Amino acid sequence: MSTSFVIREATEADLAQIMQLENDCFGNDAWDQDTMHFEIVAHHTYYLCAFEQGSAASTNELIGYAGLSKIPGNEQADIQTIAVAESARGRGVGKALMQELLKEAKRLQAEELFLEVRADNPAAQNLYLKLGFEHIDTRKRYYQPDDVDAWVMRLQFARGTVGREPIVLGIETSCDETGIGIVRGNTLLANIISSSMDEHARFGGVVPEIAARAHLEALRPTLHQALAKANLSLHDIDAIAVTNGPGLGGALMVGIGAAKALSVAIEKPIYAVNHLVGHVGVDILERGELETPTVALLVSGGHTSLLLVRDLLNEVELLGETIDDAAGEAFDKVARVLGLKYPGGPEIDKAAVGGDPKAIRFPRGLSLPKDMEKHRYDFSFSGLKTAVARWVEKTEAAGEELKVSDIAASFREAVADVLVTKAVNACLDNNVPRLLLGGGVVANKRLRELAQERCDAHGIELRIPALSLCTDNGAMIAALGAQLIMSGRAPSSLHFGADSTLPVTSVQTP
Amino acid sequence: MPNHTLCIDTSAGTTVAVLKGGQVLSEIHFDENMKHAERIGDAIAQALSEAKLLPKQVSSVVVGRGPAPFTGLRIGIAAAVMFAEGVGAKLFGVCSLDAIARAAFEKRASEDKDSILPILVTADARRSENYWALYSGLTKSGAPIMIEGPGVAKPAALQEKFAGQEFETTALKISAVDLGKVFEAQLVDGTASQNIEAMYLREADAVAPKVLRDFGKKVSG
Repeated sequence: MSTSFVIREATEADLAQIMQLENDCFGNDAWDQDTMHFEIVAHHTYYLCAFEQGSAASTNELIGYAGLSKIPGNEQADIQTIAVAESARGRGVGKALMQELLKEAKRLQAEELFLEVRADNPAAQNLYLKLGFEHIDTRKRYYQPDDVDAWVMRLQFARGTVGREPIVLGIETSCDETGIGIVRGNTLLANIISSSMDEHARFGGVVPEIAARAHLEALRPTLHQALAKANLSLHDIDAIAVTNGPGLGGALMVGIGAAKALSVAIEKPIYAVNHLVGHVGVDILERGELETPTVALLVSGGHTSLLLVRDLLNEVELLGETIDDAAGEAFDKVARVLGLKYPGGPEIDKAAVGGDPKAIRFPRGLSLPKDMEKHRYDFSFSGLKTAVARWVEKTEAAGEELKVSDIAASFREAVADVLVTKAVNACLDNNVPRLLLGGGVVANKRLRELAQERCDAHGIELRIPALSLCTDNGAMIAALGAQLIMSGRAPSSLHFGADSTLPVTSVQTP
Repeated sequence: MPNHTLCIDTSAGTTVAVLKGGQVLSEIHFDENMKHAERIGDAIAQALSEAKLLPKQVSSVVVGRGPAPFTGLRIGIAAAVMFAEGVGAKLFGVCSLDAIARAAFEKRASEDKDSILPILVTADARRSENYWALYSGLTKSGAPIMIEGPGVAKPAALQEKFAGQEFETTALKISAVDLGKVFEAQLVDGTASQNIEAMYLREADAVAPKVLRDFGKKVSG
């Protein structure tokens, strides 16, 4: 009798034989035919059959099969099943099938391979142990109705990107900036930003549909510029990172569609990351590390958030945020009231030159004792905006001269004061000697000055990244992706969507 | 070298196909019309995998330009742009309604009907409106000939517009396979286009404030 056998990829035509063997081998645990059929034809699986070879009578007799599942973009793969006919055991059929699946898993760049095996099957366990699997967990009474535990076993392949500095391309489209950045580990290689700001000017604020249209048009040129700046081609990229929230849904989805297709095209993993945590992590690109714990104040046209970061990847807490307008929005709206252009921040800065910041005492939102109980770290700028509008109306109605410089300076002072007061409080309350600023409003000179004064007074170290890293950008997204990779995190699947209100506790969407 | 074409359309659901000289190697359809961002990656990966193709074996990418609801449409175009960049493939655009038109004329031919009436293709444009285009037939190579449109209109307005004209309609939905076939026919005819701009047909919903200071209540007097 011959002992040789052949192995080839399974097809639908093998289904009947496979089902027969499946029922023989697994009895109660056997899969039904539909499940098996799907497994064999699914895009993300790889099934092999072993056939008897030699004697004419037994040619084409199926003696074993095994399957692997590997989702593109996910670096974990699973052995789905393996079966060897009782009559063919002890001839190395199982080992040969497993070795072929291991090869395929490696070819697909899996970093870890998992399987489950019955606790009462030492023969199979020994085979897996010899192949390099380790027993990492036990699932109690996993196999029913037999009431048998399952061993979870894992094989770790030599990790491609872990341990060396990965080159990551980051895509950011959460608001009106199309940002594509490239980093190598903690090092910035390129940071290209294409803004649709001018197109929003006549509307006095970001129009989501206009922003999304502009992203689509900016993708290609921004990518080309980023690669040129980094002096790299797409072949050099180890992974893609993309913002999947928080932000404008339609805008985020342009980046997500782009990033996923790129990931599939260049066969590299994808990481879906949090925009706000990206703002915090960007300091790594300037200092080589993020010192923690730190309080982070993120202020832009879309966000006003105060975060407590004890660990960038594992412990980010939202202390407070705006309950109405973002600070940047308040600048834009007040600029409109004062007849200034969009975006309001720089225009109000210009108008405030020579103005008296104490001329008008505009309200500091959520700063009264009763508000401080419930909203100690929250912000509100809606009342401030209205107060400015009222002041202008009142002055004009009274026929008095409108001192735009005083109004601009006083408004700006109110915003900066409340932002810095709450941020410094957060540092002091939590015993954190560091404050990091981020977001486009950081461009505001008075905010930076006041933050420096107050931080100095309290012995708090103030970090303000370069403005090109403070505004929305792809480099911060790439940097956060690189941190995730270097800490050994598995990539995201290809299934994630956009989440406009993604919480800061979700650093990466799986 | 065989010319493998990856066809992507997100004007309704997410549909992706791989064609090779008229032969369909794979086609993937996800019907949900609000899940393009979630599905696009899987759809492309599955289409390639079923066609037993490595990404870099794709030499052309064809994308449906709509007209279609904006958010979903953009996801397909963004994906097509980046996929083409990633593998160095050529990128082409096809009007999504053309794909439906082609399928409709083919269906009519296969049913042996001797009608020569034009076919009006419509697709949901939300807000109780339809995108539409009117086609007279196919070129010899099979590319649809659009004689009016594309446009966007309420069904009543469309009815009024074509009142008194004879035409047929179709209930067929878009498939990336048809999109790819239109492209292949256009290649033969020399009308294939590298324009991949989204066909929005509507302005972005935004009204510039007339007076830039008009929010808040006016103080009388």
